[in-house]
Amino acid sequence: MNLPLNRRALLQASGAGFGMLALQALLNQEGVLAGDASNPLAAKLPQFAPKAKAVIFLFMYGGPSHIDLFDPKPVLSEWHGKPIPVWKTEDAFMGGKTKNVAFASPYQFARHGEAGIEMAETFPHLARHADELCIIRSLHAESNNHGPALFQMNSGFLLAGRPSIGSWVTYGLGSESENLPAYVVLLDHQGAPVNGALNWSNGFMPATYQGVPFRSSGEPIAYLKPPKQVSNDRQRARLDLLKQWNEAYAAANPVESSLNARVNAYELAYRMQMSATECTDLDQETDATQEMYGLQNKVTAHFGRNCLLARRLVERGVRFVQLYSGGNEGPRAWDAHDDLKKNHDLHCQETDRPIAALISDLKARGMLETTLLVWGGEFGRSPVAENGKGRDHHPKGFTMWMCGGGIQGGKVYGATDEFGYAAVEKKVSVPDLHATLLHQLGLNHEQLTYKHSGRDYRLTDVSGQVIREILS
Amino acid sequence: MTLRTSLLLMALIHCSHQKVLAEEEGVAFFEAKVRPLLIQHCFECHSSEKKQKGDLTLDSRAGFLKGGESGAAVVPGNPEKSLLIQAVKHEGDYAMPPEKQLAAEEIAVLEKWVSQGAPFPDSGSPLLGMEKKLAQAKTHWSFQPLMKDSLPSVKQTTWVRNEIDHYILASIEAAGLSPAPEADPATLIRRVTFDLLGLPPTPEEVTAFVNNNAPDAYERLVENLLQNKHYGERWGRHWLDLARYADSSGFHNDLDRPWAWKYRDYVVDSFNEDKPYSRFVAEQLAGDEVSEANEQTLIATGFCRNGPSNDDNMGKTAAAIKQYRADQLDDLISTTSSVFLGVTIGCARCHDHKTDPFTAKDYYQLLAIFYGTEKYGLVPGTEDANGVKLKTDAAIQIQALVETKAKVPVTHVMKRGNAMNLGEEVEPAVPAVFDFGQPHFPIPPVDAKSSLRRRTLAEWITSPQNALAWRVLVNRIWQHHFGQGLVRTTSNFGFQGATPSHPELLDYLATRLITQEGRWKPLHKEILLSATYRQASSASAASLERDPENRLLTHMPLRRMEAEVLRDSILAVSGKLNLKFGGPGIKPRLPAELIPTSQRNRWPEVAKEDAQHWRRSLYIYSKRQLLMPIMELFDAPSTNESCATRGESLVPTQSLVLMNDDFVETQAMHFASRVLSQAEPDLPGTIAQMFELAYGRAPHSERLQQAEVFVRSREAQSSRLHALTDLAHVLFNSSEFIYIP
Repeated sequence: MNLPLNRRALLQASGAGFGMLALQALLNQEGVLAGDASNPLAAKLPQFAPKAKAVIFLFMYGGPSHIDLFDPKPVLSEWHGKPIPVWKTEDAFMGGKTKNVAFASPYQFARHGEAGIEMAETFPHLARHADELCIIRSLHAESNNHGPALFQMNSGFLLAGRPSIGSWVTYGLGSESENLPAYVVLLDHQGAPVNGALNWSNGFMPATYQGVPFRSSGEPIAYLKPPKQVSNDRQRARLDLLKQWNEAYAAANPVESSLNARVNAYELAYRMQMSATECTDLDQETDATQEMYGLQNKVTAHFGRNCLLARRLVERGVRFVQLYSGGNEGPRAWDAHDDLKKNHDLHCQETDRPIAALISDLKARGMLETTLLVWGGEFGRSPVAENGKGRDHHPKGFTMWMCGGGIQGGKVYGATDEFGYAAVEKKVSVPDLHATLLHQLGLNHEQLTYKHSGRDYRLTDVSGQVIREILS
Repeated sequence: MTLRTSLLLMALIHCSHQKVLAEEEGVAFFEAKVRPLLIQHCFECHSSEKKQKGDLTLDSRAGFLKGGESGAAVVPGNPEKSLLIQAVKHEGDYAMPPEKQLAAEEIAVLEKWVSQGAPFPDSGSPLLGMEKKLAQAKTHWSFQPLMKDSLPSVKQTTWVRNEIDHYILASIEAAGLSPAPEADPATLIRRVTFDLLGLPPTPEEVTAFVNNNAPDAYERLVENLLQNKHYGERWGRHWLDLARYADSSGFHNDLDRPWAWKYRDYVVDSFNEDKPYSRFVAEQLAGDEVSEANEQTLIATGFCRNGPSNDDNMGKTAAAIKQYRADQLDDLISTTSSVFLGVTIGCARCHDHKTDPFTAKDYYQLLAIFYGTEKYGLVPGTEDANGVKLKTDAAIQIQALVETKAKVPVTHVMKRGNAMNLGEEVEPAVPAVFDFGQPHFPIPPVDAKSSLRRRTLAEWITSPQNALAWRVLVNRIWQHHFGQGLVRTTSNFGFQGATPSHPELLDYLATRLITQEGRWKPLHKEILLSATYRQASSASAASLERDPENRLLTHMPLRRMEAEVLRDSILAVSGKLNLKFGGPGIKPRLPAELIPTSQRNRWPEVAKEDAQHWRRSLYIYSKRQLLMPIMELFDAPSTNESCATRGESLVPTQSLVLMNDDFVETQAMHFASRVLSQAEPDLPGTIAQMFELAYGRAPHSERLQQAEVFVRSREAQSSRLHALTDLAHVLFNSSEFIYIP
C-alpha cells in the first residue's frame, strides 16, 4: 500500500473533529481495527478532496456507434456509397465484409438543452438531461477486437491479468459499506460479455478487490443464503458455537493476527445475508419510481432494474458499480455488424428510459453531485459499411459521456475528423479516461500504485492525463 | 495521381524521414553524452527517486520543461534562454552544480542538446543508465557465485539437528532470541502430512505415530510420505501455479483445451519420480529437442502453451496476427525468465528495463531462442487469418510447442514492443548481465529438425554455474515448507527484489541441491528433519515483539490451508474423497446463477454431486473465465500469469461460501453419517471421533462438553443426524480446521 494516507495516518490525523472520532468509534465497534491490517476493505481516506464518492459505469458492451448516437457526421450522406480517403484496409476487423464504402447514419439528430447538445433521435428520454452530460467525442483505444478492447477499457491493458478499474478504486478507497461488497457488477439479461469474469478481475491484487456480480432478481449474490434445509435459527446456532471456538482459538494463538479478523468476517457475512437481500428488494420502491425506470415494460425492465439497483447500491455505500448493457456478442450486444439500425434501435430502447430515470433519481436525491456516471463501450464503429447496413468495430475515435460527480454538464469535448474516423481534437486515451475517473474520486493515478513481482503498477501504467477542462 | 501530387507526396515522405533521422541522432547524442552528465552531476539532488531540491526533477523531459521554483529549466532550441545553461555557466541566479563548475566541453554538450530541442526519450531509466545498472549487477547478491562458507557456530548446540539449524539458530541467537520448543508428535504428523501430501493424516496414522517411541519414527514417517504418490499431486500443484496452468484458453471464447491435463499429469509424475531438475526444465522448454524425446517430453512443452491464448480471435489483419504472435511469445519469455531465473525480463519488451540490468535487446535475444517454434496440437476452434476454422488433426492429442526445421527466421528488436516496427537484428543469447558463461548456440545442420536453441537455453539454466537459477529453485522449495521464502519475492531476485534473510543458508541449500543432481526429495528430507522445521507454532513474547514477521524463524508459522487443501480436507474428513489419479478435469457443481457469467465453453449444470466430482481439487477443470468460487476466494491463482506466491486473504465472502455452499453442507452431512451412532451413551465418543478426524486430536473436556450441549440442543429441534451435521459444519468452518499448526 503506497497511499500516503493509511489507516494509521487517518487515525493519527483525526485528533480533532467529532466526525473522525465517531468514525473511529464505529470502526472499533465493528472490530475493523482488531487484528490490524487484516481488513483490506476498511474505508480509506482519498488522497485529496474528492468530488465523487461512487462511480456507476454504464458499459455499453459491443461498441455503440458514436457516429449514429452522439457525434453526427452529415458529410457521410454526401459520401454515402463511396470510398472515403481516410479509411485503410487494415482498419477493418471483419476483413472480407467491411468495404471502404461510406455509410450515412439512418438516424436524425437534434440539439437538446440550453447547451444545444446534438443527440440522435434514439434517446428521447436522455435528451432531457442534455445539460447534465459531458459528451467526450475524442476517445481512442488500441484494439478493434472485443476481448482485448474490453480488457483495455476495464484494466488499461490489452491482455488479461491486470486489476480492473473497480478493483483499483476499491483498493484505493476501501468500502463505505459495512455489509455490501465495494465493487458490484450487474449483467445484461443476455449474460456476460466475452472474457467473462476476467472483465471485473482483481488481476494480481487479492480477491478482495474483485467485482462481485449481483442479480436484481432472485438471489442477488451466489452463496448469500444457506441451503433451504438450514433455517435461520439453525444457522445462527452454528455460528454461535463457531464464534465461541474461533475466539478461543484466536486467543490461544496470538501469533496469527488474522484469526481475530476471521471471527469478525463471519459476523459480517451473516449480516451481508440480510443487507444484500434488503438492498435488492426493489419492491420497497414506490410505483412511481418503478414506473420511471421502466420496470413495467418488457423491453426496459431488465436494464431498468439494474439501474434502480445501482442507485440503491450507491446509496448504501458501494463504490463502483459496473452495469452492462449487452451480453454474449453480436446482436445481443451493441455489436452492430449486420444491421446497425435494428441493433441500436433495440439497445437504445432498452437503456434510454432507465438511464434517464437514473439521472433524474440521483439528482432528486442530491446524489448526482457525488456519483459519477460514465457511459460508453470498448470502442466505436466504422464510418464505412459492413455488409451494406452494419458497421464494423472501430477504436480510433469514439464517444463516451460522463455525468455528475464533479463533471461539467452541457459540454461537448474533443472531436473526430469529418468522417468520424479518428479522434483529432483534444484526444482522450483510455488511460486519460481512467486518470480522470480516479481523480474525481480523490485518487492521483500516478500515486495509486500496487507492488507486484517487484514493480509498482498503476492503472494508467506510464501515461494518463486528467481531462481538467471538463471538471466543474 | 498527378505528377504534382506524387512529387508533393515524395517530398512529404522525405521530410518525415529526415525528421525521424534527426530524432534518432538526437536521442543517440543524449544517451552517449547528456545522460551520463546528468547522472554524474544532477541526479543526486534533482531526480524523482532522490531529493528534489528547488522542486526540480531533471530525470525526464517533462521535469526539464516544468522546471522548479524558478520556472522551466530548458527552453527547447534556445540555450540562451534556458535556466539550465545559465546555471551551468554561472551566469544567472544559480551556479550549478554547486561544488564545481562543469568543464567547458561538458557545458558545450548541454548547449548542443538544448539547441537540438532537448530530446529525452521517456523510455530510458530515470535513475540509472544501463551501464550503471550493469556495473551494479557485478555486486548484486543474486548474480554472484554460490558462497561456500563454513557453518556458523552456535551456543545452543543441543538444539541443532543438522546444518540448516546452524544457520537458523545463529541468527536467532544473534538477535538475542531463542527457538520455539519442538512441536508435539500429533502436531508434527499433521503438519508434515499436509506439507507433503496436502491431505490430513488419518486418526489411525496419528495414533500410530504418537505411540511410536523409536528414535527414527519421524524420519521413517518423512521417508514414507515422500514415497507416497499423493506427494506428486501436492508438489505438482505448486509447480502448476508457476506454469500458469489452465484447461481453457481465456480471452474471447475461452476455448476448451482438451489435452492440457496431460501436462498436469506429466508434472505430477515428474515429482513422484523425483526427476532431476535439469531434465525437468529441459523437457518443459525443449521436449522435442532433448535426448530420448518421446510423447511425454512433448507433453512437457505444454509449459510453453499454458498461457492465455486467443487463437480463434486474434484479428484478421497481418499486423494483428504478427502482434498476437509477439504477445504469445511474450507470455513465454516472461514466464520462463521469472520461473527459472527469478528476473522480470518481460519488463524489457518495450524499452530497456526501468530498474534492472536488462536491455530490450536482451529481451529479443531471448525471443530469438523461441522464434522458430510453432504450436503442435491446435485447440479445436482455432481459426486462420481469414476466420476459417482450421482442421485439427484428431490423431494429435497433446498440446505442445515444437520446431520442425533447423532454420529460425531472422529475429529483430521490436521497437516499443510493436511487431510492425522492427529494429536491429539479433542473435539468440541470454542477457549480457549473466557473465558466468554465455551458452553456445550451435548452428545445426540444414536438415536438422530443430535449431536446438531451447535445449541450449535449458542446459544453461540448470548448469551448476548458474547460481541464480539454483537459488531461485531452493527458495521456492523453502517457501512451501515454511510459508515464506528466505527471499520473499520468490520470482524476483533483481534489484527490486527482497534480500535474503539467510543468504548463507540459501547458498548452502543450492549447493546441496546441485550435489543431489537436482533431485528434490533428499532436500525435502533434510529440511523436514531439521529442528527448525520441527518447532512448535507458538512464539515467545520477545520473538513476537522483535521479529513480528518471523523472518528469523523462531517458530513455525500457523498457515491457512490453500484452497485445494481446504476442499480436499473437507472431503477426506467426510469420508467421500475419491483418490483417483489423473485424467481429464472434473467439473463440480456451480451455483446456477454463476454459470451465465461465462457464456463460452459453458460450465454444465450439475444437479447433485457424486463421487466423480469428489476428487482432489488439483483435478478441477480450470476454466479461465470462471474459476470455482471456493478456489478463487481462497486465493488459488488466476492462471493469467505465473503465480509464485499465493495470497492469504481474509474476506467475508470466504465465510459466505463456507457457510452456505451446498458442497460444505452435503459433506457435513456425510461426515455426520460417517460417525453417526444413535446410542445415547456414545455421544461423547462420537464427538471425540469427529475431533480426531477433523483436527487430528481428541477434544479436551471443555470442548467436549460444549459440543455435547450443542448436539443435544440441536437434536431436540430435529434429529441426531441433523445435530451432528450442524457440529460437522462448525468443525469445517472453524479456524482450527483451516489453519495448519
